Amino acid sequence: MSEPNSRRVVVTGLGVVSSIGIGVEPFTESIKAGRSGISPISSFDASGYAKRNAGEVKDFDPGAILERLDPEAWGRSGQFAASAARLAVRDAHIDPDLLRASNAGSAMGTASGEPRVMYGIAEQWSRSGGEEFGPGPVGTAPANRLAGAVNSELGLTGEAVTFGTACSASNYTLGYGYDLVRTGEADFFLAGGADSVSRYTHLGFSLIGIISEILRPFDSNRSGIVTAEGGVCIFLEPLEHAVARGARIYAEVLGYGVNCDAKHMTQPDVATITSCMQSAHTAAGVKAQEIDYICAHGTGTPASDAAEVAAARAVFGDDVPPISSIKSMLGHTMGAASGLGSVICCKALEEGFLPPTATLDESDPELGPGIDFVPGVAKPANLNIVENHGFAFGGNNAITIFGRVK
Amino acid sequence: MTTSVLDPVAITGCGVVSPAGAGLAALRALLDGETKPNETPPAEDAEVLPPLAVRIVPDIRLADYVGRKGTRRLDRMIGFGLIATRLALDTAGGADDDALRARTGVALGTTTGSVRSVYELADSIFNPEVGYVPSRFPNSVMNSCAGQIAVWNAFQGVNSTLANGHASSVSALRYARNAIRFGHASRVFVGGVEELSPQVAWGWHKSGTLTQDAVLGEGCAMLVAEDPAQVGDRQVLAELLGAEVGYFDPRNRRVTPARGLAQTVTRLLERSGLTAGDVDLVSLGAAGQHGARTVEEYGLRLALGELPTSLRVSDALGDCYSASGAMQAAAVLARWSDGSHPAERHALVTSLGADGSVGCFLLRRPTA
Repeated sequence: MSEPNSRRVVVTGLGVVSSIGIGVEPFTESIKAGRSGISPISSFDASGYAKRNAGEVKDFDPGAILERLDPEAWGRSGQFAASAARLAVRDAHIDPDLLRASNAGSAMGTASGEPRVMYGIAEQWSRSGGEEFGPGPVGTAPANRLAGAVNSELGLTGEAVTFGTACSASNYTLGYGYDLVRTGEADFFLAGGADSVSRYTHLGFSLIGIISEILRPFDSNRSGIVTAEGGVCIFLEPLEHAVARGARIYAEVLGYGVNCDAKHMTQPDVATITSCMQSAHTAAGVKAQEIDYICAHGTGTPASDAAEVAAARAVFGDDVPPISSIKSMLGHTMGAASGLGSVICCKALEEGFLPPTATLDESDPELGPGIDFVPGVAKPANLNIVENHGFAFGGNNAITIFGRVK
Repeated sequence: MTTSVLDPVAITGCGVVSPAGAGLAALRALLDGETKPNETPPAEDAEVLPPLAVRIVPDIRLADYVGRKGTRRLDRMIGFGLIATRLALDTAGGADDDALRARTGVALGTTTGSVRSVYELADSIFNPEVGYVPSRFPNSVMNSCAGQIAVWNAFQGVNSTLANGHASSVSALRYARNAIRFGHASRVFVGGVEELSPQVAWGWHKSGTLTQDAVLGEGCAMLVAEDPAQVGDRQVLAELLGAEVGYFDPRNRRVTPARGLAQTVTRLLERSGLTAGDVDLVSLGAAGQHGARTVEEYGLRLALGELPTSLRVSDALGDCYSASGAMQAAAVLARWSDGSHPAERHALVTSLGADGSVGCFLLRRPTA
């Protein structure tokens, strides 16, 4: 039932709210410099936890970015989502009135939706039951408000759907948006994700024993994730339209692959990750040897990194392209993670560099020899085609492929 | 934007867990007035529910459907999903086809995942003496139900969780249709799930959005959507002609939600190669939210003129929120089962949320 592509789809706007920069340029400069956004937790009392770091966005003022939304009426993840979307649209220099009049919508990915709001209500429940619930928090809590925030901020009337596919959710949204734009179901689309640091996310990952102080992907001493937050939004446009209006084109979306381990909720599976990479290549019409860089899922847990590298070896043999993980700087931004990976893939293609694995001291010999994990800071590189990995709880794998438009 | 007519997707199975009990036949019996919905909550919930009318899934043992092994740490919402999926698989056939399972995906509508499991985790902070089993943590993540459906059925195709309030199930159907169209799965178990835990019921009660006579419900309906090319001689219950979703923020005065719904329905009809007069049955979504029924009816009159025969499954089941669109589809399939109402060929299903999200899809009865 598959159909031929009808339109080529390009990325012409990038919006980022992150612990290492708000806006795509500061974010990119921080990534290239290997700057860390990890710091002691300030949004809740973490003194009871053995590990007390997170990737919090410290200097976020949604009122300074948003034009239509009242930040007070939205949760923190919704604020991240709408702000990233506003920044993406500004970055694209697309006419906001054209956008409003078009068939344009948004899809935002998340793991926990509005965890701080939910946590506040849950605390009330634990103390006194539902009698003291207030309409404000109850109305703010649903996760679909993330995409709703984007559409409300931009005045869009296309669909507003939030993907709850956790840590690979942004790649799901990007793939979905790509399909909508290439088929003409949508004129334009905004895809991305958002999540907030919260006490219960921190607790949950602590309980299953994968929280660390420093996120060290591919390192001998890696021991787990650092929870983090942020918002990301990517503006998708038909190539022809972008060229006609003289837009800056970061990259072309070439295709994506999605599948499910269907074996275990938290243990990654090498075989299905391998086939997800292969199906992404097939969908994008590229050969494995054409991939110049892999923006890894790279969570820094022993099992996940090992599975990801094993899958890459299964696909690329002895010629694995450079692999790095920007979670080494950001921590694990959950629903925003693969969207931030997509942003850096676009910038890497545009500017020509390999993003680093900033915290890598000593590559784990168990991952085998011959792979450049790009330790420290970015390296110049001429890139044509790159791939971006997102894997999640529930075995929800999603891989996007981007190419340079010459 | 494109206006070409798309190929339909075959609906080959349907599994339902609802206040009518388990199965499409139980839903049919309820809609026909032969039975009454269950109103008795689980014993542990009875004393902590707010003063609201509720319709509750009766005590159905998950182990009777999937066996006892490994079910202990699953939550109630996942139980709904697994039972509905098993029932859907039973009606669709192909359960023994491992290759097909590997190409089978999941698209599940849920707005917040299991609120009960989120609160259970949070409660362990305030009441640590209660004790928390760490292996229950995955239940609190939004995609746990869709992920478990895949794990328990070895469905290795695309696995997605869609949050869109009352329009969640429509978004799931739209996603499933797209996934089949582009080969990310050749079959998708698609629907919506909602659990009316006391926490959720209190949230609704305090939201200020419900009418005096609102009734809340719960459950899960799963449809089996397939590439028609692979159905062979298996039965087709209906064809999904299309699914459209829009967002018309009531604060944005440019397009009201009613006009937005009308636009969305009109676009759906165009994309399906139909006209307003072709719609024989409307399966309505608006339930107990202030003003929702008026908006829905006005929007439909704008799009269709006279309203055709209407079915409102929430009158029987209560408002099933994220699961409502899938329940509305199940109600159509139940109504059409055994060749009933043969004059009805096209059913329009509509959803709308208080945030201005609207959705609709079209089901066509297969020609005999």
